[in-house]
Amino acid sequence: MSWLLRRNMLPLHSNSLARRPFASPLPLPPASLPSPRETHIWYVVPDELKDASLLYQYMELLSPCERQSVLRMNGERLQKGALLARALVRTTLARYTDGRLSPKSFKFQKNRFGKPEVEWDKYDLWAPPPLQFNISHTSTMIACGVTLDLPIGIDIEEKQRKTSNNILSLAHRYFSPVEVAYLKTLADPECRQSEFIRLWTLKEAYVKALGRGFSGTPFKDFTIRLEASNSKQVTGELKSDAPSIVVEAVDDPGILMNRWQFALFELNNSHYTAVCMERDVKNPADGENNSLKLEVWRTLPFVEDECVTETDAVKNIIR
Amino acid sequence: MRKRGTPPNRALRARRPPEISPTVRSLPLAFSLSSDRSMASISGTVTATSVRPRLTSRAPVVKGFSGLKSVSFSIQRNGFPSVRLQAAPRRLRFQVSCAQAKPETVQKVCEIVKKQLALSDDTPVSGESKFSTLGADSLDTVEIVMGLEEAFGISVEEESAQSITTVQDAADLIEKLVEAKSS
Repeated sequence: MSWLLRRNMLPLHSNSLARRPFASPLPLPPASLPSPRETHIWYVVPDELKDASLLYQYMELLSPCERQSVLRMNGERLQKGALLARALVRTTLARYTDGRLSPKSFKFQKNRFGKPEVEWDKYDLWAPPPLQFNISHTSTMIACGVTLDLPIGIDIEEKQRKTSNNILSLAHRYFSPVEVAYLKTLADPECRQSEFIRLWTLKEAYVKALGRGFSGTPFKDFTIRLEASNSKQVTGELKSDAPSIVVEAVDDPGILMNRWQFALFELNNSHYTAVCMERDVKNPADGENNSLKLEVWRTLPFVEDECVTETDAVKNIIR
Repeated sequence: MRKRGTPPNRALRARRPPEISPTVRSLPLAFSLSSDRSMASISGTVTATSVRPRLTSRAPVVKGFSGLKSVSFSIQRNGFPSVRLQAAPRRLRFQVSCAQAKPETVQKVCEIVKKQLALSDDTPVSGESKFSTLGADSLDTVEIVMGLEEAFGISVEEESAQSITTVQDAADLIEKLVEAKSS
């Protein structure tokens, strides 16, 4: 990364561009917009990036401010992760603009609670799609979720993640009483460990979907749990017997916050992934399965994209 | 330019810039030669800060004051920043907005953070280090808070925990709570 530092200080001469074959990267294949109840997820596995020249391509996409943030990260591994995260957001969003916007041209702002969102320019003859996104990363994967005009939160955690503190201590401190009680019912420590992580990702995804930050939506104030199907408010075709993930306020138990829908699954056999999306009330489904739909792609931007939705890379889905 | 046959990673690591990064904010508080001489009477503690990127070996680097909250920077023509403090005769006055933690506390926080984030011993962590730039996610942060509570025998309120973004923040809060507890 220190090499990149130096390079940023050099003026860009045309002959130096000519030396670099990546001056015009491969165009990103366009993607169809997500439908109303759909979340699209694009994920990158940093270890799959073997070609250092790709890092330069990605760096070119970032704003000066983003570059500085990347370089502030402590160490090359974290810098690479931060760089990939920004490159993933930019390239993913660009795919949905039908070739009209390049990854480099996106601008971002923060909502009043600090949640990042796209700052769209005004165009005369084209209305950009009202995309919303959210991103999450671990050291071994970065994931970006995209919806059409619906708030979304995504969180990923390594399945093997171990906590330094005792699970029940953490839960007592940060989870709601119902959630603590649930974890206590699990006698097997490994099971308890993995359920803790899965519950953590769900709670994180919810907080991120709300966009009010960790402090705006304290973990202790809400419960996420499975709700049996007979009290589901909507009926589905195939999934009507499956329990669904619901969220309720600790102060108002029994009143489900139906505005939010969830999906929890395993990604790439390595990560628990939780998605929380606002339910689309503008397009209510009649007699149709109203649960959250997923489309998932594994990507290495400018190199390859692979749709993995119906594969083993996405499994054990609970909605 | 990379020579043919050089593996990419080695080329990336081969060059260490002697210059300073474009951002002023991330720089350690470095003093140029002249100002250093005049500050012979500096009292107060010096803690190691992460010197990133590295300055040339010639420049004497006073690596930072744990108590320094407000500084003004100016960039000289050679690109090295100099720092001006408001100097009173015989005594340096620092603009500080609140009490600063002891270096031992900062050190202990650094240890706990390094352990939680599994950072190597030679990873530079100091009061100025932000948890986010060290790679801490929200679960790491809550685990760090719990680790600190255990190590210092204190209890941190959620609202206070949210305001911690750097190691220094954590150390300051700890000392405040320890003091409140003992009084």
